[in-house]
Amino acid sequence: MREAFGRLGRYSLLKGVSLFLMVVVALYLTVFIANWGGELDKIRRAQIKYDVTVGVSMAFADQGLTQEQLQVIIDDAVATQYRRFGLDRPFIIRSFYYLRDAVTLNLGRAEMMTSDYGSRQVTDILKDRVPRTLLLIATSELILFFLALLIALFLSRRYGGWLDRVIVGLAPTSAAPGWFYGIFLILIFAAVLGVLPYGRMVQIGVPKGTWEYFFSVLKHMVLPVSAIIIGAIFSSIYSWRTFFLIYSSEDYVELARAKGLSSQAIERRYVLRPTLPPIVTSFLLMIITVWMGMIILESVFNWPGLGQTFYEAMQRFDTPVIVGIVVIYGYLLAATVFMLDFIYALLDPRVRVGPGGSR
Amino acid sequence: MKRSPRRSSQTVADGLRRSRAASTGSVLRVEDLYLHFRASNGTVQAVDGVSFELGRGESLAVLGESGCGKTSLAKAILRLLPRNIHRFTGRVFLNGTDVMEFGEEKFRQQVRWRQISLVSQAAMNSLNPVVKVGHQVAEPLLNHHMSKEKAFERAREVFGVVGIPEAFMNRYAFELSGGMRQRAIIAMALTTNPDLVILDEPTSALDVLTQASIMNALKKIKHDLGQSFMLITHDIATSSELADEVLCMYAGQLVEHSKATRFYRDPLHPYAQKLMASVPTLRIEKKPEFIPGQPPSLLNPPSGCRFAARCHRRFERCQEEPPLFTHEDGEVKCWLYEKGSRDGE
Amino acid sequence: MKWLRELRRYPSAIVGMVILVIFVLFAIYAMIAIPIDQAVYLWRGSGPWLESPMRAAPLYYDWFTRDKLPRTFIITLEDEGVTVTEEMLGGGMKQLTIVLPFDYDYDGLPSELQLYQDWQFETGQRPSVYLTWKKPDGQIIPLHPAQERLHRDSFPTYYISQDKALERVLGAVAFPDVRDPILPPHMGLLARDLEVPSLADIKPLHGRYEMVMQCVMEQGVELREVRLRVYGQIHGWAGTDHQRRELIVALLWGAPIGLAFGLLAAVGAQLSTFVLGGIGTWMGGKVDAVFRRLTELTMILPNLAILIMIAHFYEPSIWRILGIVILLNIFSASYMVYRSIILQTKESPYIEAAQAYGAGGFRIIFRYILPRLAPMLLPQFVIVVPAFVFLEASLALLGLGDPMLPTWGKVLQDSQNQGALLTGHYYWVFQPGLMLMFIGFGFAMVGYSLDRIVNPKLRSL
Repeated sequence: MREAFGRLGRYSLLKGVSLFLMVVVALYLTVFIANWGGELDKIRRAQIKYDVTVGVSMAFADQGLTQEQLQVIIDDAVATQYRRFGLDRPFIIRSFYYLRDAVTLNLGRAEMMTSDYGSRQVTDILKDRVPRTLLLIATSELILFFLALLIALFLSRRYGGWLDRVIVGLAPTSAAPGWFYGIFLILIFAAVLGVLPYGRMVQIGVPKGTWEYFFSVLKHMVLPVSAIIIGAIFSSIYSWRTFFLIYSSEDYVELARAKGLSSQAIERRYVLRPTLPPIVTSFLLMIITVWMGMIILESVFNWPGLGQTFYEAMQRFDTPVIVGIVVIYGYLLAATVFMLDFIYALLDPRVRVGPGGSR
Repeated sequence: MKRSPRRSSQTVADGLRRSRAASTGSVLRVEDLYLHFRASNGTVQAVDGVSFELGRGESLAVLGESGCGKTSLAKAILRLLPRNIHRFTGRVFLNGTDVMEFGEEKFRQQVRWRQISLVSQAAMNSLNPVVKVGHQVAEPLLNHHMSKEKAFERAREVFGVVGIPEAFMNRYAFELSGGMRQRAIIAMALTTNPDLVILDEPTSALDVLTQASIMNALKKIKHDLGQSFMLITHDIATSSELADEVLCMYAGQLVEHSKATRFYRDPLHPYAQKLMASVPTLRIEKKPEFIPGQPPSLLNPPSGCRFAARCHRRFERCQEEPPLFTHEDGEVKCWLYEKGSRDGE
Repeated sequence: MKWLRELRRYPSAIVGMVILVIFVLFAIYAMIAIPIDQAVYLWRGSGPWLESPMRAAPLYYDWFTRDKLPRTFIITLEDEGVTVTEEMLGGGMKQLTIVLPFDYDYDGLPSELQLYQDWQFETGQRPSVYLTWKKPDGQIIPLHPAQERLHRDSFPTYYISQDKALERVLGAVAFPDVRDPILPPHMGLLARDLEVPSLADIKPLHGRYEMVMQCVMEQGVELREVRLRVYGQIHGWAGTDHQRRELIVALLWGAPIGLAFGLLAAVGAQLSTFVLGGIGTWMGGKVDAVFRRLTELTMILPNLAILIMIAHFYEPSIWRILGIVILLNIFSASYMVYRSIILQTKESPYIEAAQAYGAGGFRIIFRYILPRLAPMLLPQFVIVVPAFVFLEASLALLGLGDPMLPTWGKVLQDSQNQGALLTGHYYWVFQPGLMLMFIGFGFAMVGYSLDRIVNPKLRSL
């Protein structure tokens, strides 16, 4: 047992480090692209000028200096700061300064947007918004996973039946992304039927009690979560049920039948267990798509999460927030990949043992 | 507590010999077994009216070319049937009881792995990749509600019998070499002490040295434990090591059933004769022969004797399908033996 | 090519192909009937759409209601029943009396009323125009009660339905008990009766209406054209948007643009992944390892977010966007799929044979491995097209698409910005929506069926 933990631990560590390096590369690319037109430099310069001007004015407030004298001090200080932040260096070097900030999540101040409590720090703004997006994603992905798995397993036993053919026929519905179904769901349930809200996370005029708040959020979650699920469920059921069918015809499954194991035992240990690894991989790819789709989905539903913040930042041209969000997305995706790789390693012993094996 | 492998197999062996000695009669008797299944372009007559009997403690080799129905025979006995069955009739007596009458659930609980077990073809893929090998070997016992300790102890015993170090109990299938995996499969088949173990091409994917060591292990098990084997293979040479009797199949039918001593030396059926003639021998100077033509497709077998087209001894009678004639050393499905002795020789 | 024949066995594939063929026909029709330059010009708005109603539903809405929904019609000087009488007054002045009659028998009120006049005059010679409106029940309403005649700002187009003063006057007359009442002119001028619970329930009076223009002017002044525009509630094959543009233009042109973008992106991305898969897997070792890392990197890279960032900062044209999209998808997850298939082929004997007679690496990859496995590419490629079509729509939805191109995404964006769902203009949402949906389904249905044919593992099921 301890041996298993050791192997798993080592694998996780290696994977974690490797992913982190990837994140660094991804962030470097992000910074590179963002600063190609000098956007990040502009922000930096503006922020430096602002900070220095305020700081110098306050420091020399009582000294009765003239505007010109103050300006000289300010200019001098600004130039020093420019050097300090590497703004006088070539593009590549500057990019590394920004990279350092991105990796350490030192995302600076927003130009216009604020967090719930009024902070301008991009990290604070994001701290407010990320959990709301996580709420939607976690809820929908959990439901999606178990629902699709159960139905796929159920279908694999009834290959060729009418239900099987219906679901296979519905698989193409996943060609349309979640936000697309979101628009139609709003059309039907909010506009025409009027039973569910058009958008937002909680009703306007936030309810006081915790229960009411909870229920209001729940009510507002129904449509977005349904949109995400509808957009992905049928192709997942189709592809996982196909996995099950393929893996059910493996030799070891037949031998398990010959061994006299009950069909439940066979399904659980000989079909489900070996098939989980590829299912997890396919699930991972789906989650990544959902993460990206949230940008649009949240805008459609006016859900105050990361995606909508992105959209808002674009509208207001608040560059620090825009770049900050891309950075956060990089981390979030890497975290998702890590988590699912870990689960994969738990499920598939072949991955844990290195090429040398344990012999 | 460690035990040396030999000691544990002795304990098991004694126990088994005692229990085996108590019962008499045949272990397996098959009567008119038919297995036909539907293909997109017709009906495949995989097993076409096969009947034979196997005595306790005896081993049977089932020989024939690829596609002659030998694997289907094994699957038919174990009721591992595909989805597209057309006909599945006949009687299969295990220790005197007709198990064809059993419902699916009864068959699963009482026959599979209790009375018959299987060492399957392509053992490489016969082990669940995500479950530990030891657990898989112990699984049939756990399935029959044996306690975990007892089941794993028994698993360790059979590991010793087939010659795998105990440490491999906790390994996964991919960590074992080909030969080890095959041994593990054999161990798995022995765990529940079945009356009959069917081996379907147990060594075809292995190199010659490993083949030899596996056959040696099987011989030893046969000797020490008195285990009955039904060895299905196209490898005539290795089958001779284990077989007491030989069943020769052609185009889904049983063409000869005779004692091994007779078959390997001087088989009765013309097909079997050609088969033996094709095996190269180490000591005798001989040019291996081959049989011209192709075996008939099981989809539309020809009427009359199915081997007639390729037979070097065919005559007009062969246009009609011969029944199984009894001979002093066994049974033959050939008109040459109509009067009970060899004709025209 | 035999897969085409096999495809016929699957009903979903047939449906899918039919859908795709329809869209291709749409695309071809669009490109022929409205060449791209004209389409872009039309989509810029204003000019060509002056006489198009705003936010009008499609004409086919009429089939679904018992009411006869009003369409747009224009009364000009040339129309039947229009009378122009000229009368000479003293002192070099003349008077023109123009009567513009029309019959109104629709069951809904018009959405807008406008009067366009094209006068030719020198500075300071502007004619004085007095307008009167006559309802079928004999009611006569002067249209500029506050001032004696048509105000200077009402030339050349007098937006009758937006005349605030007229609104207040009509309101005062209609609802004397209400404080600060207003009644929009296009309702008040055609209302049957005002004893209704709300403005939305007002029904028009059927019969003959007349707009009478009395114009007093100096001799040299000429009236070139008069157009009384009565805007309807339904218009065009697909309705109109807030800029009066007929949506059918964008709906038609969305087809070639969407198809082109989707297909080109899919080909570019999948083909490059396939080729790189061949090269990487064949060369193995470091190259393969690097490629695999790049694939992982692509997974972590927040593709859409970066694409949006680029589009936002640098506002590229649709071709540049296409290029960037392909670039971001070169090392897509499909790499691992292709890799596993190519690995199996790599070990096969005929490749060994090729090596034995001296074929070099690239030759083997491009002449033997890839062509043989190309059929595997097809289903993947087809299935992935909708993703790119929707990607283009997503960018447009966020306001980042090419602003000049009429695409489905652009229409959706407009509808979202204009709150179409809240104001009940559902056609604005579901028409582009359905287009996207069907094209996506079309590709997906064909792709999934192809997968069942081409994928050997699935065939044996």
